[in-house]
Amino acid sequence: MGKHEIRLRRQRMSARGSDRYRNYNAVLKQHSNEKRIKQITRIFTFFLLIAVVIIIFMIVTRWEKKQSAKPQSKINTSTLLVT
Amino acid sequence: MTEDEIRKEEQVIERSKKDPRAFGELYEKYFDRIFNYIYRQTDDEELAGDLCSQTFVNALNNINRYEFRGFPFSAWLYKIAGNEVNKHYRKNKGNKIFSIEELKVRELVEQGTDDWDEELITQLIRYMNELPTDMIQVLELRFFEDKDFKEIAFILDMTESGAKMRTYRALDKLRTNFNLKVKYDG
Repeated sequence: MGKHEIRLRRQRMSARGSDRYRNYNAVLKQHSNEKRIKQITRIFTFFLLIAVVIIIFMIVTRWEKKQSAKPQSKINTSTLLVT
Repeated sequence: MTEDEIRKEEQVIERSKKDPRAFGELYEKYFDRIFNYIYRQTDDEELAGDLCSQTFVNALNNINRYEFRGFPFSAWLYKIAGNEVNKHYRKNKGNKIFSIEELKVRELVEQGTDDWDEELITQLIRYMNELPTDMIQVLELRFFEDKDFKEIAFILDMTESGAKMRTYRALDKLRTNFNLKVKYDG
């Protein structure tokens, strides 16, 4: 719903009045700019996603390495204790 | 719009999906209507010019998603234009403005009495200020843009019966409060 204000216009907008704002070349230019920005954003997002996947993969492999190294060291200490 | 005109327009849209320059034909065809529609909701030429350009840029950006759903292409443009206007008012937190041409109001209503005085116009404006905004939007599209209820429902994202109900309610109030005859209300 919301509030609004009604204004009465005595004179009709002439076609010439709106013609001052008619510029299809500007519309085309803005369209190609926005298209380019969209493409750049898409490429950037794609690389960002790949980087995140790589980082996650690296963290997981490092964590796995640590996990596999832990039991070995435990055995070693226990052997040391026995002797 | 005739079948032939709709088919031609469809061809232009298909061409525009491949070549944005082809969209120029639709731009020239609908520019004045969309500009006036926005101008009526802003009462600011500069702003209407900007929002009108943004409307066509948005239409061109999303032309690949456009599908014919039984409405003329202009309905889609009106919908985008309406969204742009709403976005502007949301951003600036101001009251929505409806700038109505006096001539259009005179065309729309026939007076019960012979003289058309200033006082009546002032009262009419005051009455319209009290109506809900969505009711004014429906009235604007129905009487100033000559849209049918199906198209109005599509443009304003409401049901056809909802659009009809709002119009008739507003017109009923108009008739009872002002002793006015609305020239067409079908």
